Amino acid sequence: MMASGISHTLLIAKKDLTEFYRVKPRLVTMIVFPIVLMLLFGYMFPSSGAVNHVPIAVVVQDQSPQGMQLADRFVYLAQSSGLLDVTTTDSVSWAQQQLVLNNVYAIVIFHQGIGTQLSSGGGTVEVILDQLNPTLDSAVKGEIEQIFSQMDAPASPSALNVVFQGLIPGTTGSFEFLAPGVIAMTAIIGGLSGLAMTFSRERELGTLDGLLMAPISRLSIIFGKGLAQIVRGAVSSVIVFVISVLLFDVKVYGNPLLMILVLFEGILAFTGMGMLATSFVSDQESAQLIMLMIQFPMIFLSGALFPLLQLPWWLRMISYILPLTYVVSAFRAEMVLNAPFSAIAPEVYGLAIFTVVVFALAVPMFQRAVTK
Amino acid sequence: MSYAVETENLTKAFNGFIAVNGVSIRVRRGSIFGLLGPNGAGKSTFLRMICTLLRPTAGRAIVEGHDVVREPNEVRKAIGVVQEKLLLYPVLTAQENLELFGRLYGVPESEMRHKVRELLEEVKLWGFRDKPVGTFSSGMRQRLNIVRALMHDPRLVILDEPTNALDPQSVRWVRDYVKKLKERGLTVIVTTHDMHEAEELSEDLAIMDRGHVLEVGPVQELKSKYNAHTVEDVFLKLTGRELRDELSGRISAKGWR
Repeated sequence: MMASGISHTLLIAKKDLTEFYRVKPRLVTMIVFPIVLMLLFGYMFPSSGAVNHVPIAVVVQDQSPQGMQLADRFVYLAQSSGLLDVTTTDSVSWAQQQLVLNNVYAIVIFHQGIGTQLSSGGGTVEVILDQLNPTLDSAVKGEIEQIFSQMDAPASPSALNVVFQGLIPGTTGSFEFLAPGVIAMTAIIGGLSGLAMTFSRERELGTLDGLLMAPISRLSIIFGKGLAQIVRGAVSSVIVFVISVLLFDVKVYGNPLLMILVLFEGILAFTGMGMLATSFVSDQESAQLIMLMIQFPMIFLSGALFPLLQLPWWLRMISYILPLTYVVSAFRAEMVLNAPFSAIAPEVYGLAIFTVVVFALAVPMFQRAVTK
Repeated sequence: MSYAVETENLTKAFNGFIAVNGVSIRVRRGSIFGLLGPNGAGKSTFLRMICTLLRPTAGRAIVEGHDVVREPNEVRKAIGVVQEKLLLYPVLTAQENLELFGRLYGVPESEMRHKVRELLEEVKLWGFRDKPVGTFSSGMRQRLNIVRALMHDPRLVILDEPTNALDPQSVRWVRDYVKKLKERGLTVIVTTHDMHEAEELSEDLAIMDRGHVLEVGPVQELKSKYNAHTVEDVFLKLTGRELRDELSGRISAKGWR
């Protein structure tokens, strides 16, 4: 009895595995997915020293010899640390824009007159942290404090008063960093997988033929289904947004219209990507797996959950070609840092171009897939 | 004489496999036309071209006076299609399904309620109008599937194996209903593997095999020509008795890829 039970179990397992083996997208996913998973989690929770070469801006407004000497000494020590990469400038506003865009993670400002102040026994250096990722902030803050404590000339550590502050008021927590990414992800991922799933389900059911035989434009079918996904994405993001604000005390500092614009662009772009992917698969399970393969790495590589700085350069290069990266970065800059339109304009225009290109490819490919 | 469907050398190839090869047939207006053939004969691919779901590789097809390639929407308005798979949404109710397709086909809102009621009463489903289709028996679903194709008053109705997997009562209902459609002046094209059904329903027949039309004509003429008592005899004389083990190309024709 038991032997036949085991034999039947093995028989069914063999049948399932054979089915699995015969459908190549499933097979590829089985092999590639664990590799991707390990790489991503490995870098998400780094063992040690994974964060280095964090870009910071040093603003030197004091052009006096003492002021220049102080700034040069700081830059020298910062560059030698290995943790920080320094860009020098004389413009505070430019540096702040870079901070909002996540191009730098801290600004060290040597204000006008600091040289003179030092000569008379004291002076204040202002440090602005980006505040979006407490782990990164803490590492950068610790390193800057250490550098100032090592400074011996032209100022002794005791003579310098280092003031740390953020671009936004109050103390931010991890969720301040996570919330915009999670909202953007929720809105967008639905568009990607939802569209593929609805098309493949209708294909399998046969109902898509019913739509295709109706005297309506194919574009109406495509855009109607896309619109449904946009609504779903919008509802999901509102839910995540409300939970973030009500339960986790996430503050919104940005312009709501710009936030909606970025999200809407993201949802459109990903709906187009979903359509493109749908043109290549015919059954629901394959569609699900392909979407998983696209979504999962994108979630981790977009910077939604942890700073891109933690990634090695080659994975960072991949993240820079993912549209979610730009949605997350622009949405976060707007929501938490109240970025002006000019600061997020490259992302907004880039996403618009990406969306147009994706739809220009997806619509004819999809139409060809349904009427061979 | 006017024809509901006229094809000339209609051909469809999928990656080198010719599913339909130079088919030329005419379907008389107001008749029931049976399209027969073994599995893989090309019947479904032929019908999918007529329904504008597949683009012909060569040849042409005129349906109710409209070219399937140049005027697909005119063709779509003129035909009602009942496929082997149900063109119904299981989570929508019977009424919602009919209204959806009515709107897609441009049925005026002022007529919608009346039309839906008339059709649901005709197939004895008015009492189930608020129930999701997923809860229906297969016979109920097929009855609804057939009237769904009639929401926009098509002139030509195409039924692809409409009695497949139905119980005898439902099969009888479907056959009687097909006859009613003819009585109303509609043209009907029906495919079936049931030779008795073909004989009972069809006035004209086309027998296809391996993408070609082997014979076409009125049922009685075909039986006389082949000295056969039944349509089944004609069918077997033309297509042979050997089992078909060759790949049919059915997946590429009916599926998506």
